[in-house]
Amino acid sequence: MEGNLVNVLIYGLVNSAVLMLTSLGFSLTFGLSGVANFAHGGLYLFTGYITWMFLHYLGLPFLPAALFSIVIVGLIGTVIYRLILMPVRGIVLSEVIATFAVGVAILEFFRWRGFVTYEFNLPSFVKGSITIAGVNVDYQRLFIIAIGIGLAVFLWIFSHYTKTGLALRGMAQDEYTALSLGIESDWAAGLSMALGSALAAVAALAILPLGLISINIGYDVLLVALAVTVLGGLESTVGLMVASLLLGYAVIITGTYLSPHWMEVVYLAAIVLGLAIKPSGLFGKFKELEERV
Amino acid sequence: MLEVKNLIVFYENALALNDLSLSVQPGEVVGVFGSNSAGKTTLLNTIAGLTWHLKHRELRKGGQRITIAGEIKFAGEEISAVKPAERVKKGIVLCRERHPVFRDNSVEENLRLGGYMRKGSEIKVMMEFVYELFPPLARLKRKKAGMLSGGEQEMVAIGMALVARPKLLLMDEPLLGLSPAMQKEVVRAVREIRKQGVTILLAEQYARPVIPVIDRGYVIENGTLVVSGTGAELLDNPEVRAAYFGIEESR
Repeated sequence: MEGNLVNVLIYGLVNSAVLMLTSLGFSLTFGLSGVANFAHGGLYLFTGYITWMFLHYLGLPFLPAALFSIVIVGLIGTVIYRLILMPVRGIVLSEVIATFAVGVAILEFFRWRGFVTYEFNLPSFVKGSITIAGVNVDYQRLFIIAIGIGLAVFLWIFSHYTKTGLALRGMAQDEYTALSLGIESDWAAGLSMALGSALAAVAALAILPLGLISINIGYDVLLVALAVTVLGGLESTVGLMVASLLLGYAVIITGTYLSPHWMEVVYLAAIVLGLAIKPSGLFGKFKELEERV
Repeated sequence: MLEVKNLIVFYENALALNDLSLSVQPGEVVGVFGSNSAGKTTLLNTIAGLTWHLKHRELRKGGQRITIAGEIKFAGEEISAVKPAERVKKGIVLCRERHPVFRDNSVEENLRLGGYMRKGSEIKVMMEFVYELFPPLARLKRKKAGMLSGGEQEMVAIGMALVARPKLLLMDEPLLGLSPAMQKEVVRAVREIRKQGVTILLAEQYARPVIPVIDRGYVIENGTLVVSGTGAELLDNPEVRAAYFGIEESR
């Protein structure tokens, strides 16, 4: 029982970091431009497969392969905005349908091309593991925690101290005032899609080495990102962290003491309860009604 | 400096501006007066390019149909099809109504963001000027703009527009909802800003508080120009007096 407790404590933290990393990109794009990027899961998995191809077909070392993937996925994010989202910008339902379609197209493309066998996996950054209080934790999981914290700090600095970050936040708060100061809304939204997509890529590179790459991960990632953002509030960084911790531990506790079958249900329950009890999320704010020009 | 000719704006079938022509000379402070929904905001937004932006956004998604016709010339150049950001670069800066500030950002961040299109050195100089113009802001630098009073937010909003280095500053109802003391502060600021060589086009519902600072004024009703003239001339027009100056005819 005691071993179980330490296990829950440590793996709950790891799982929380996984959840945060997974949903960071989704939440960032939504917070900055109001676009709910339902292609998030598709891009996440896409990163896994192209990195695998870079490693196995082109024979690149891991680091350049990973960097290429991040850049490419970021660019794809902008392209999705320019080609697919721009024409329906402002019609929320169309944005969701359009991005969801792109995500499904990516995922099912890989299924169609036969990327379903057991050979697809990404290497860990460093092999090996460490024993903490009698519980075995591999280094990759510690990396995930470190990357999660590192990215959160990086994003905070970016959004508070750089001109671009300030401009993006400004655009998120008041589009027309931002416009009247010379900030362009399509540029801002395109950039926020690129950033969010690149973050999905980073998450994939850190988390996918924990197991095999399979198509269904793409759908799970979207579910997780939705659960965390709905629970945490749609434009709150603190909310994102708290929601990740809550869900991260809830899932591990459910898996340990109830049954692993119930783990998926926790995410769905979080979405349902979140929307029913506090639709704006634990730390979210309702946006004021947009004024017409 | 600014030449607006036969400007027409439709939102769907609603006429917002009807064949409006006006001009602003370099160094002038010009007022635009009119009641609610007279077209003041549409006029300023169209000059700043926001209406153009909205029109294209709506066009793209097949939403509201917005029609803009007529000429807008700035420094001799036709700008009616120029993006808002380009207009800011040229020196047309709009300070929108109801003191819009970025509420989650500190006062200093707001001001810095005002200079988004400008170089770092320019931003610094202008921020110094803003803190001199509105000393309370220097004290509130680190406070979130959303926590400030309406008057302080108006100072931030004007400050942001100033850091954008306007040649032509468009001010949309800067006095709206402010206390008489705050209104005086803003009017004083307008005077100071003008001294810097900035041309100002200012829209207000009630003209009386700003009459001392304007050179000329236009009165618009339902998007149409009714009267124009110097401040004194407008004051002499009995109808205008009653409607926009809040002065009843003495009996």
